[in-house]
Amino acid sequence: MKLRADHAAGAAFVVFGLVVIALSGDLPVGHLSMPGSGFLPMIVACLTIIFGFILIVRARESGLFSDLNWADGKHALMVTAITGAAIALYEHLGFIVTMLLMMIALLIVIERRHPLRAGAYCVAIVFLTYVSFVYGLKTPLPEYSF
Amino acid sequence: MDSTLLSLAHGFAIAFQPDNLWYAFLGCLVGTLVGVLPGIGPLSGIAILLPVTFGLNATQAVIMLAGIYYGSQYGGSTTSILMRIPGEASSVMTCIDGNAMAKKGRAGAALCIAAVGSWVAGTFGVVALTVVAPPLATIAVKFGPPEYTALLVLGLIFLAYMSSSSLIRTLLMACIGLMLGMIGIDNMTGHFRYSFDLAELGDGIGIVPVAVGLFGLGEILSTPSHNVVGEVIAPKFRELWPNRREWRESYWPIGRGTLLGFIIGIIPGSAHIISSFLSYALERRVSKHPEEFGKGAVAGVAGPESANNSASTGAFVPMLALGIPTGPIPAVLMGALMVHGVAPGPQLVTEHPDVFWGFVASMYVGNLMLLALNLPLVSLFVTVLRIPYAYLYPLIIMFCILGVYEVNNSIVDVWIMLIMGVLGYALRKFSFDPAPLVLGLVIAPIFEQSLRQSLIMSNGDYLIFFSRPISAGLLIVSIALLAMSAVTFVLKRKDWRDKLAEVEAGEVQQ
Repeated sequence: MKLRADHAAGAAFVVFGLVVIALSGDLPVGHLSMPGSGFLPMIVACLTIIFGFILIVRARESGLFSDLNWADGKHALMVTAITGAAIALYEHLGFIVTMLLMMIALLIVIERRHPLRAGAYCVAIVFLTYVSFVYGLKTPLPEYSF
Repeated sequence: MDSTLLSLAHGFAIAFQPDNLWYAFLGCLVGTLVGVLPGIGPLSGIAILLPVTFGLNATQAVIMLAGIYYGSQYGGSTTSILMRIPGEASSVMTCIDGNAMAKKGRAGAALCIAAVGSWVAGTFGVVALTVVAPPLATIAVKFGPPEYTALLVLGLIFLAYMSSSSLIRTLLMACIGLMLGMIGIDNMTGHFRYSFDLAELGDGIGIVPVAVGLFGLGEILSTPSHNVVGEVIAPKFRELWPNRREWRESYWPIGRGTLLGFIIGIIPGSAHIISSFLSYALERRVSKHPEEFGKGAVAGVAGPESANNSASTGAFVPMLALGIPTGPIPAVLMGALMVHGVAPGPQLVTEHPDVFWGFVASMYVGNLMLLALNLPLVSLFVTVLRIPYAYLYPLIIMFCILGVYEVNNSIVDVWIMLIMGVLGYALRKFSFDPAPLVLGLVIAPIFEQSLRQSLIMSNGDYLIFFSRPISAGLLIVSIALLAMSAVTFVLKRKDWRDKLAEVEAGEVQQ
């Protein structure tokens, strides 16, 4: 039997449902006349497992797992890593420094744009946004706090 | 009727206030840009800009966000006609004949017909909303917990039935959304659920980080910049006016598309996508020259464009009158109203008449603005289409982080957005539509509360849902829909989903 996309997806949903049930251990399910806080999560987790199994059973209708196109995976991974780094630094370095670094990294490292043009674009956009939010919309943005 | 007209006049007084006019204009302009730019749909546009509205009052916020929604329906046609790339999903059908008209040198006429059709449909939709929503709200006041439970079940099943992906996939997404919606303190017992000792999760997961992550960041992760290329056909201003034959061929398709779109808009599901597909199919069926479809038929532009605009207005009826979102976009708009302390639902008309009637009246004005915006400014939108995507997406990521953080000043929300972005990317890889997940997240608290209240009311007797006529009726419709799906499932019949997939596959190949 060949592994198909829906085999993997269905299995992921079954595992997810089982994890939710395991995590719901200390939540009271209650009874029909007085449902507890674990009542609906349990029903929905069971439905997720059932639908996950149906997906696995009908997996023949989906494409092969090995045929999934991951050509954009490298781009997605790099964007995720840079965005993650920006989120980690956001409250420490503040809006201006973090966003400048993030945009420059995205444009120069990933997109390989001309450094001078990309730098000028990033500086202009970040300062314009900062001024619009702080002075126009009176919304304070995180400042450098090390 | 007199009271409706008086209320509408009051709404116009609110809509014509300079501030509100400005936010309607801003919403329409941003919405048009959102529709024009490939890769940013109306949902991601609204979700990203939602935090920007926090400094506004509820009326201004909903006027601006709704402007983005219906503005994106107008803007989507520009990219479809000039580049053969659907700016957003509901413009897929416009690509076919709109771009064929553009290649024949009739790009301006196609844009004009699309804009006029959108305006007629949008205006009709608002008139119908004005007439239908208040009486519906009066009926909905009589709804108790069992009726709301049945209505939400029907909404979810309708969404699954009408969704562009399969029934099981849609229900799975809705289940994940419901589970995410149950994170945090249980309102009825005070138990903490799945919060992993994070105080920020006590209030649950907000709609903003989830919607921005799934639709804003998720879309960026799955769209490498080198994939967004295309040749723009730039029309001249003097070529915008259609000739007499083109006008004649567009009257009836606009009328039919408008009516069909509004009816489909009220029904839960991805109304604006389904309506444009069905309108195209209807026009081809009633046409005396079906062979012209695909080669630049005027009706192939006029019908679907009118239908998707009318549907986007129709979707506001259940949201405003019942407090039930029929799709992910109304769900995000509902979230926006709730952030401003306004609960959409039957009481909205009576408790917040300024919001309701100001919003309705602003849509009349907004539709006129869009007509004025879309035709003279077409050269501006052509220029925007030439901005490289590589420069655009870092800006969108910056707004995603900024917007999500500003909602609660919480970095946990921004991490949730990133996780949702990665989830959105993975879901797209496995052909899951993340939209029902957002809907599940929004309705989870209402659904859980009404279900548990119903069971407590009946002392645990499930028959309460069938002993009350409205809830019984709604559940019977739900069962009928499930049975119809089962027939398609067992007999492996082709339905509109398969046909739409074939059309989209054809588009990709060309």
